[in-house]
Amino acid sequence: MSRFGRIAAETTAAWRAFTRRRTAVFFTFFFPVIIILIFGALVGTEPTGGGLFAEPAGYYIAGYLAVVVLFTPLSRVGSEVARHRDGNRFEKLATTPLTRAEWLLAQTLVNVVVIGLASILILALVLVVTDATFAFSPLVVPYLAFAVALFCGFGAILGRVADSQDGVVAASNGVALPLLFLSETFVTVEMLPSWFVPLMDLSPLTYFARGIRAATYRPTGELPPVGGTGLVGADPYLNLLVLVLLSVGFFAVGAYALPRTD
Amino acid sequence: MVIRAENVRRRYGDTVALDGVSFSVESGEVFALIGPNGAGKTTLIRALTGTTQAEGTVELLGGAPEDAARHRIGLLPQEFSPAERLTARELLAYYAGLYDESRDPDSVLADVGLTDSADTHYENLSGGQKRRVCVGTALVNAPDVLILDEPTTGIDPNGRRELWALIEGLADTGTTVLLTTHYMEEAETLADRVGLLADGKLVELGSPEELIERHGGDSRLVVEADDPAGATRALERAGYHLLPDETHVAVAAGPRDIPDLADALDDAGVDYEGLLWRQPGLDDVYVALTGTDVTATGDPITEGQS
Repeated sequence: MSRFGRIAAETTAAWRAFTRRRTAVFFTFFFPVIIILIFGALVGTEPTGGGLFAEPAGYYIAGYLAVVVLFTPLSRVGSEVARHRDGNRFEKLATTPLTRAEWLLAQTLVNVVVIGLASILILALVLVVTDATFAFSPLVVPYLAFAVALFCGFGAILGRVADSQDGVVAASNGVALPLLFLSETFVTVEMLPSWFVPLMDLSPLTYFARGIRAATYRPTGELPPVGGTGLVGADPYLNLLVLVLLSVGFFAVGAYALPRTD
Repeated sequence: MVIRAENVRRRYGDTVALDGVSFSVESGEVFALIGPNGAGKTTLIRALTGTTQAEGTVELLGGAPEDAARHRIGLLPQEFSPAERLTARELLAYYAGLYDESRDPDSVLADVGLTDSADTHYENLSGGQKRRVCVGTALVNAPDVLILDEPTTGIDPNGRRELWALIEGLADTGTTVLLTTHYMEEAETLADRVGLLADGKLVELGSPEELIERHGGDSRLVVEADDPAGATRALERAGYHLLPDETHVAVAAGPRDIPDLADALDDAGVDYEGLLWRQPGLDDVYVALTGTDVTATGDPITEGQS
């Protein structure tokens, strides 16, 4: 059993703890749904010919997926770290064979499942309420998994830095909102000042959004090719490679950052 | 030797939490650290389990705490609060699942007297039941060393006695137990040896009997009076030596002093509901050595305070 058994035990407990918090479950799925209904159906039904949400509906699918990939792990893992610290659970776990990396991996697995389900819901909803087209690529799966791992690691760091659950919520919102709108998700490169564009390469979410879009979005007619800028351009494999490397780094730092007692 | 602490020191800013603490615990021994809240008990437990860094030498199972075989250790942290929406059985199964070899969660539930509440979510259990689940989480791996930080806090007297019996049973099978408590009766009942902690220092060490013999002082008479202040004045005037007591008026005296003491109270017109003769205990030892009494909630009362 050993490592596999420990991770399985932690994953099972974390899954039960999450699914039994009905409010958390509801809002985990409600959040992306309301985003799609507002920006995909309400705003997007009458494109203005410029400005926000003027691209074809399919362009924004990567953004909708980015919403859940970013917010859910960041706030969930951050809050879970705060809950564990408040309840002295890490102190207890420090005397068991479960390592910090195994704990974080278990939380990541739960988040991958939750966000996988939320992503299916998002795709179904987008296709129903908008005229978007989506070319499914198997690359979507590793993109989702590694992005979730990345932001679980980031959430663990926030949970370590913030001193309470309230602090985690505030910190995750403070980090997630700028990342969401400045990572080529909903705001196109053309709408940003030229000096800012290179800074987008610093956001991990940029590689997720560019990669997912490059793998699944097929613009038609006279629309220009998408995602041609940035460190690794629009190649979905190169963007995935960068995302994997960042995930490993954030996961490792996040696991190391998990508190024990002091 | 299962646990060894040598000149252990720990500061938090200007606050000295541990100030040169030294003691050891032998295999199969039940060792209790006693003291009020803030005495340094939890910091010492954390130093011994490697969850806080302290100066000095700390050994657990013959090596550094971080290197100790984790399947041989069972820890109940202070104010431990596991996942609230898991049932008692699920919680024990979860912690059991972290070990290669573990006990059947149902047998642990039976040991802590929670068989009937096995399927109740933790958040819906009573305070005492919650604490018993927490104790159970420290037992799932059948540890060689059981470290319990305030194991019976919040548990009703019956539940406390049940846990005492459980700990005694484990000790009988050779489990080494280190526990902290502010309940002196608990330490007196369970411990082979106790260490008295005050302001981060280990002020005395020994078996309860030795410590009481050495420092417990005389037996006492406890007066349950409607007017404690009046009783105090009357007994002071009569020349009795008053002892600190959380709820009643107590003087250093034996059973033969009862008639004279009753006369002193009658002469002063002080009504009383009872006179109780009590032998010295660890609480008296603690007061004698530190000048501090400990309330039922673990808070310290310095001698002279009401």
